[in-house]
Amino acid sequence: MESALAVENLSKSYQRRLRQPGLLGAVKGLLASQFEQIQAVQGLSFSIGRGEKVGLIGENGAGKSTTLKMLTGIIVPTGGRLEVLGRVPWKERRQLALNIGVVFGQRPQLLWDIPVQETFELLKTMYRIPEDVYQAVYGEALRRLGLGPLLGTPVRHLSLGQRMRCDLAAALLHAPAIAFLDEPTIGLDLSVKEQVREFITDIQAKFGITLLITTHDLKDITETCDRLLLLDKGRLLFDGSIRAFEQKYASDRRIVAETHKPVDPSAAQSLSRDIGNSGGKVVEAGGHRLVVEYREEGAAPTLIQLILQQFQVVDINLEKTDIETIVTRIYRQPSLPE
Amino acid sequence: MRPLARPLSFRESLLGYLTYLNRALKANFAYKASTFLGLFTSGLAYGTSVLIWSHVYGQKGVSIAMSRRAMFAYLALAFCLNYALSINIDQRVGQRIRLGLIATDLLKPLDFQLSQAMQALSDCLFNSFVGLTILAWVFYFLGGQILPKSPEALGLFIISLFLAFLVQYSIVFLFVQGAFYTYSGYGIFASRLALHQTFSGFSAPLTLYPPVLLSVGRWLPFQHVIYTPISIYLGNVEGAAALRLLGEQALWGLGLYGLGYFTMRKALGQLEIQGG
Repeated sequence: MESALAVENLSKSYQRRLRQPGLLGAVKGLLASQFEQIQAVQGLSFSIGRGEKVGLIGENGAGKSTTLKMLTGIIVPTGGRLEVLGRVPWKERRQLALNIGVVFGQRPQLLWDIPVQETFELLKTMYRIPEDVYQAVYGEALRRLGLGPLLGTPVRHLSLGQRMRCDLAAALLHAPAIAFLDEPTIGLDLSVKEQVREFITDIQAKFGITLLITTHDLKDITETCDRLLLLDKGRLLFDGSIRAFEQKYASDRRIVAETHKPVDPSAAQSLSRDIGNSGGKVVEAGGHRLVVEYREEGAAPTLIQLILQQFQVVDINLEKTDIETIVTRIYRQPSLPE
Repeated sequence: MRPLARPLSFRESLLGYLTYLNRALKANFAYKASTFLGLFTSGLAYGTSVLIWSHVYGQKGVSIAMSRRAMFAYLALAFCLNYALSINIDQRVGQRIRLGLIATDLLKPLDFQLSQAMQALSDCLFNSFVGLTILAWVFYFLGGQILPKSPEALGLFIISLFLAFLVQYSIVFLFVQGAFYTYSGYGIFASRLALHQTFSGFSAPLTLYPPVLLSVGRWLPFQHVIYTPISIYLGNVEGAAALRLLGEQALWGLGLYGLGYFTMRKALGQLEIQGG
């Protein structure tokens, strides 16, 4: 696969001024400044092929946005090597700009004082967008994101959700080779989030755009991406498919059975012994509910068979820990698993 | 998959900058109340200056190497030029750096310095259109028109005015870069304004300055924003001397623009935009 971007041993550190609390602290700060060194990104290496759809996740301060800013050429790395579409972003930012689209969820790129339509027309000229491409993305934006009624409104009069939708359309208007979307659904309600994801998916599929999305809403990733990068304290902790991620970190799978009669504790103990060899464990047995936990993928049929042999079951459900729960657990661990 | 876009040609880039200028100009019309308030307070400052000089000329025993009429003509022109060449990109860019919004400006396929020049040009065109239309009527009713000395003076003045914009923009752009280090535009704006008001000839012709200030001012570019164009317009400087002044203006303008280009690369290199 042709490479869209490659990052090798990338790092970024910066100084942060330390401020002491209170008025006296502010006055002291005038006389003597103290700084701390922040290592935002360290030793980051990965590459993304043309047309890939990749999600970049991590806690606040993990280095996601810093990575995106380096990839787009806005900030200069402290060390390492990076290349986007064969160019060094911070050296060739303007040339690169023609082939990338960027959304910074908290920093709108629309012109504040003029109507949305005017910004679109400005971008059409500025990026030399062919008419067919412009019409395709513009039409899709009107249809999927419902921008029609907003086109004549100055940007400063738009609500957050309206502005985000317009901003996303503006970023993808030239059907860029790579789209860097930094929290594209931040602050949006559930229905608008869904519209945004559908729009991204459609445009990506139509033009084969390489996607790199950072987000805290993991549904953005599961619905639009195939691959996941997990950052922690500036380091890359995981790089692989979403399925591989679940296999690696989702240890819990559960069979939840609803029984016809209340669960007999001795029968539950007997079941526990029987399913031990198949990797199962009874974790809950009370009332009409029986819960068996297991780890091995593919163990479910055997375990269900054993349950059905000993209990009269009226309903049965298979539960897998969702990605959101997995990531939350990973964030909560004091030292992240390698 | 779409093929990668080729770099913009000169014509395509030019079209991009002109469209940017067009949109910036439209954006200037968005704040009518603010514009008229600014014009009103600028007018008050000008009125105060006229009153002070009237008082000075009215004092017995005071000798000024310039007639009262010439002084008032100078002040009126200085006010108009100053208003027309008011560029506020230092405050605007300073704020965008502080909030991290500068990131979205840097992601455009246009040169940052040149696109800011379009923004500055839109400021000047807007100020000239709105402000000078009103001021021309005010001056007409107050004391007649202030005409250029000759058609040649007018021609040279138009060239000088263009160069004055180049000098003014290049100065502002150099100061703007201070905000990349300080993360606030206010101090930068205030210091640039203080130097401009002191050395441009905004409040009085430079020939009336004390020798120390005059000799400092001669080595700085600010005089070429106001004093030089007015001297040419009024015919105080003519012929070869006027052409020499235009040459100086051009050298300052191009030199500072070039300097701004190189210092900008350094300023961008140390830009930090923290937070998502």
